[in-house]
Amino acid sequence: MAAPTMHRPTTATSSTQTITLAKGLNMGLRAAMERDPRVIVMGEDVGRLGGVFRITDGLQKDFGEQRVLDTPLAESGIIGTAIGLAIRGYRPVCEIQFDGFVFPGFDQLVSQLAKLHYRSQGKVKVPVVVRIPFGGGIGAVEHHSESPESYFAHTAGLKVVACSNPVDAYWMIQQAIATDDPVIFFEPKRRYWEKAELDPTARPEPLHTSRVLRRGSAATVACYGPMVRTCLDAAAAGAEDGIDLEVIDLRTLSPLDLGPVFESVRHTGRLVMVSEAPSESSIAAEVAARVQQECFYSLEAPVLRVTGFDTPYPPSKLEEEFLPDLDRVLHAVDRALAW
Amino acid sequence: MLTSELRPGGRETAPTRLDDDDLELLLLIRHFERNLLDLFSAGKLNGTTHTCIGQEYVPVALARLLDDRDYVFSNHRGHGHYLSRFRDPAGLLAEIMGRDGAVCHGVGGSQHIFRERFLSTGVQGESLPVAVGVALHLKRHEPGALAAVFVGDGTWGEGSVYEALNMARLWQVPLLVVVEHNEIAQSTPTTLQMAGTIAARAAAFGVEHRRVESADVNAIRGLVAPAVERVRQANRPLVLEFATTRIGPHSKGDDTRTEEELRSVRARDWYLAYQKVFPDQFARLDTRQREAIERITRDVDARTPSRWEGSCPGQSES
Ligand SMILES: Cc1ncc(C[n+]2csc(CCOP(=O)(O)OP(=O)(O)O)c2C)c(N)n1
Repeated sequence: MAAPTMHRPTTATSSTQTITLAKGLNMGLRAAMERDPRVIVMGEDVGRLGGVFRITDGLQKDFGEQRVLDTPLAESGIIGTAIGLAIRGYRPVCEIQFDGFVFPGFDQLVSQLAKLHYRSQGKVKVPVVVRIPFGGGIGAVEHHSESPESYFAHTAGLKVVACSNPVDAYWMIQQAIATDDPVIFFEPKRRYWEKAELDPTARPEPLHTSRVLRRGSAATVACYGPMVRTCLDAAAAGAEDGIDLEVIDLRTLSPLDLGPVFESVRHTGRLVMVSEAPSESSIAAEVAARVQQECFYSLEAPVLRVTGFDTPYPPSKLEEEFLPDLDRVLHAVDRALAW
Repeated sequence: MLTSELRPGGRETAPTRLDDDDLELLLLIRHFERNLLDLFSAGKLNGTTHTCIGQEYVPVALARLLDDRDYVFSNHRGHGHYLSRFRDPAGLLAEIMGRDGAVCHGVGGSQHIFRERFLSTGVQGESLPVAVGVALHLKRHEPGALAAVFVGDGTWGEGSVYEALNMARLWQVPLLVVVEHNEIAQSTPTTLQMAGTIAARAAAFGVEHRRVESADVNAIRGLVAPAVERVRQANRPLVLEFATTRIGPHSKGDDTRTEEELRSVRARDWYLAYQKVFPDQFARLDTRQREAIERITRDVDARTPSRWEGSCPGQSES
């Protein structure tokens, strides 16, 4: 098993700069477009507006309308045409405005995008990236705060990743674009404005790897996307009470990279799995199942899940009740420790 | 002929005098939405909202052509649709603010309303097939009633629109598709997102189409009433396309149009036209609605949070 890789905190050097997660994605897209003329960006309002969240800001101005396409309001059409372009050699990056709007394009994703490589016995590559801002926490309404990642992880033929911080955003979007398989790329919309130091000369971790962000011995906390910040905060709070948590950012949801999680659980004996998505048939459920299978004799407590509830996403006034927060994470840790 | 343009009383001509009730409804919607934008600026609302500022006259003109048996399917820009049907600014504001008395207990918010025969959704295009289903039922069991769906021009990019038109015509159902064609979808002008025309698309399905250039509520009613009546009586689907203008931003502060474009759009505001031609009536009703909205806002703001339990104004219906 590969040794878990430590997250090296970057110290500011001349080559580093402070960026937001949104900026990281923008810079990553830009770098990918500069490097490879086959990379094109398409979606609703991605050109002149720069996208709802301004992730594609300035790209149409700099790369032109041939490479940054404002599409009609047509998710099925966007993903379908991206597939057509991809099988003829392009590397399209599609933007879906909000998580809840991917579903008009779901058929293309599941029935075409996920299947063509398989159906052609590997002859056809479909390097499409579908970017989806996901999760809640911005006070938005239904269809604007959902966490639909397990639908995609459930489908063979799609790779699914979720970035959690500006540095990963910068590297992961480039790696996703360079991948020959379709990648569903989840962006934690409420973390778009969080900042970190980026060293663009550093060497990134491979795309499909999870990463230990904090070492600890009391319990393991696994998470991804927007929940990573929450769990790191919980770990900091726990440390003040003498509870030393190990925090792992899964980063890749399909395929999962659970080696570091297994290794961690063998030390800590406890796993709390945190995500915003409802728990039923979720990524969290899959992680729990595999950990109990692989680490049965090391577990001191059942794997606990801290997730959103099995309800439609609530109105914004209630979202704080729905979203796992520091207290709910620490409460689960306490339950695991008290087992 | 399946398609025709209805022009009399276009933007160039002065509007005809409205009765107080119509003008009040127009002003109610205008002040309701201006107030929403103010509440956002004051940090009292979160998330987002889409105002129909500039387009209010479309649902107001249609209000008297629709009745309680009709279904209305609304979209993300739906406050005018709702207020034209129910005149319930307090219930809608409570819904948006999450206060007691909210139409849907505060779970729907600005763009997901469910009240009796009024439903809105923020996912573009999805209401059309649903409306066809409802219309099929109406045809069979409540003849004379229709299902109306409001959509923007951008929404004609979605495939569900065409699946619905096909079925509506094949099955001859009383479907009224109201298109608020404001020449823009979020930031994308119609010229960049639509090939051909809505008229030709409707014609391709054998569906009747009317395009309305006028912003005069009286004139519009006179022009479209016979066609709407045919939807009811003959179960003939109809696409009613209004050439209109979105004066406000797409949601809040996200207008990408140039100052020049905005100036020309603002100059076409019905609000200015009625103010100019009927100054006394306008001033009296404008003040009244402005004050009413201020009062309602104070009242709703002071209420306790909405709760899932308890009474909800709209949900009595079978
Ligand atoms: C399926 C879907 N995709 C994307 C969106 C995001 N969105 C909200 S409004 C809008 C533009 C709608 O344009 P149009 O139909 O012309 O209506 P208008 O806003 O001009 O009233 C978009 C893209 C959505 N609501 N639903």
